[in-house]
Amino acid sequence: MKIRGAYIAAAVAAAIMIAFPAFLGAYPLNVARSVMTYMALAVSWDMLLRSGQISFGIAGLFGLGSYASILAVLRGGMDPLLSIAFAALVAGLVAFALGFAILRLRAMYFSITTLALMEIFRIIMHNLHDFSGGPEGVVLPEVIFGGDASALYWLCLGGLAVTIGASWYFERSKLRLALTAIRNDETSARSNGIDIFKYLLVAFVVTSTLQGMMGAIQVQSYGFTTPDTAFDANFTLLPLAMALLGGIHSTIGPMAGAVLLGIASEWLKLKIPYGHLVVYGVIIIIVILFMPNGLFGLARKAIRKAGGAGSPGSASNGSDAEEGAR
Amino acid sequence: MSKLSTTGLTKAFSGLVAVNDVSFAMEEGEILGIIGPNGAGKTTFIHLVSGILMPSSGRIEFKGRDVTYLPAHERSRLGIARTYQLIHPLENLKVLENVMVGAVFSRGKSLREARLSAEGICDELGLGGLDRDTAQLSILEIKKMEIARALANEPEVLFLDEVMAGLNSDETKQMIETVRRIAGERRMAVGVVEHVMGVIRELTQRVIVLEAGELIAEGPYEKVSKDPRVIEAYLGGAA
Ligand SMILES: Nc1ncnc2c1ncn2[C@@H]1O[C@H](COP(=O)(O)OP(=O)(O)OP(=O)(O)O)[C@@H](O)[C@H]1O
Ligand SMILES: [Mg+2]
Repeated sequence: MKIRGAYIAAAVAAAIMIAFPAFLGAYPLNVARSVMTYMALAVSWDMLLRSGQISFGIAGLFGLGSYASILAVLRGGMDPLLSIAFAALVAGLVAFALGFAILRLRAMYFSITTLALMEIFRIIMHNLHDFSGGPEGVVLPEVIFGGDASALYWLCLGGLAVTIGASWYFERSKLRLALTAIRNDETSARSNGIDIFKYLLVAFVVTSTLQGMMGAIQVQSYGFTTPDTAFDANFTLLPLAMALLGGIHSTIGPMAGAVLLGIASEWLKLKIPYGHLVVYGVIIIIVILFMPNGLFGLARKAIRKAGGAGSPGSASNGSDAEEGAR
Repeated sequence: MSKLSTTGLTKAFSGLVAVNDVSFAMEEGEILGIIGPNGAGKTTFIHLVSGILMPSSGRIEFKGRDVTYLPAHERSRLGIARTYQLIHPLENLKVLENVMVGAVFSRGKSLREARLSAEGICDELGLGGLDRDTAQLSILEIKKMEIARALANEPEVLFLDEVMAGLNSDETKQMIETVRRIAGERRMAVGVVEHVMGVIRELTQRVIVLEAGELIAEGPYEKVSKDPRVIEAYLGGAA
């Protein structure tokens, strides 16, 4: 069966991922961690996107998680591993509170507000000298797990696994129906019992929690952070480009995009410093202009063409024209 | 007790009063026609009772309970469902999933239960090919899908806003039968908006007539259609 095959493939992939440290050196493990971090961010960004809300705030929640974790250890003496859960919780609670204000917004207004929030978090960390270390940031006396490359890799893989699991649940449960309905047509969603705000809040809180968790894992693995590292706009830009390239509104699309772009950017970083950023910009433009459904969308189209099944009916882009006089 | 009633229901859009002081009631098992010339306020009236728009003033009661300002999703859970004059398919969901949405969120069914109930309803409406994308449906099929979705909410009151518009005469006949059957089996109160008077005559026991937002006549179609005010409203609209 098709489904059975997919499970087996996933299990094999997971086993290989878990076994990586056995046959990879420190540098490739490092690259893998970076790819996995971006992959988790790309998948989490997509999870909210399934409701139609485009967040530019990934870096904000990632940075918030970083700071919550490092400060909990440094100022509160918390166990580093526990601080990751704590940071995820903080990000989730902040998203919950903010959600009441910003989830009434739609489209551009929502996106711009999330971008602004990221900047506000950064400025706060910049200016709370005594508590957050100000512009110079903070350093931990010791990296988690004594900096053991394999342990750090597994920690990051764990964060990614939680994210993929959550995304899988989003795809398998009634959340998919709710979020897709909200994205396609809010009027129709409301008429069929969907509490739009509730589902947007769930999606926003869950994805923010995941982003905060990944920030915490990152900061514990490096042992230091500054406002400019924690809230680096790349943590917003790269996941976005990865998800768009692979194919949005799915778990597998952003994952594939992250592998491709993540590895390509490592290579480019070595060739031309900062060149990878230009490449990201170009990819975003090309994808948006020529392949709005990403690589997986192209593949699906090719399969459909080869099979000759189904009508070519253009996927109508839902413009929710409200009723009125004709 | 009436299933649904309004008193003095009014909706003003910055100056234009689209629904003006409308009081009416709908009873169990009744098929009510809602007619009036273009722009009379029929669709706006349905938006108000289903919670898609909030009224400027007046009161809406569902089985005696005040629901005037209740959000739309809560009204659909209580038992008020509707279709739209301009179709509202969820284009990234399959046909069956479109229908399931009503069962999952209004009735709180699990995906499994919702699938079964949606299949049953589609079968009842003669809608097949449930694994298709909505873009592949004919206009008749889309309308059936939207009725099926509304029925999946298991409503006690259902509004159908021009579900026959765009259908040919055979399809219209079929749809009239369908509406009569689903209304009878479920003992629902059904409000039907149509411009084709033949449909209204065949389907409804009673009609209300709106003109420029006001309720100007009420009664069996045969009587109302002879009312001078109604004739005037239609002729005035056509002139
Ligand atoms: N959102 C809105 N803002 C401003 N005016 C509106 C709005 N919606 C409807 N109207 C106006 O309210 C009046 C009633 O419109 P409505 O759509 O309810 O009429 P209708 O009876 O359904 O007409 P039709 O038979 O053409 O469908 C019209 O004059 C329309 O232009
Ligand atoms: Mg109308």
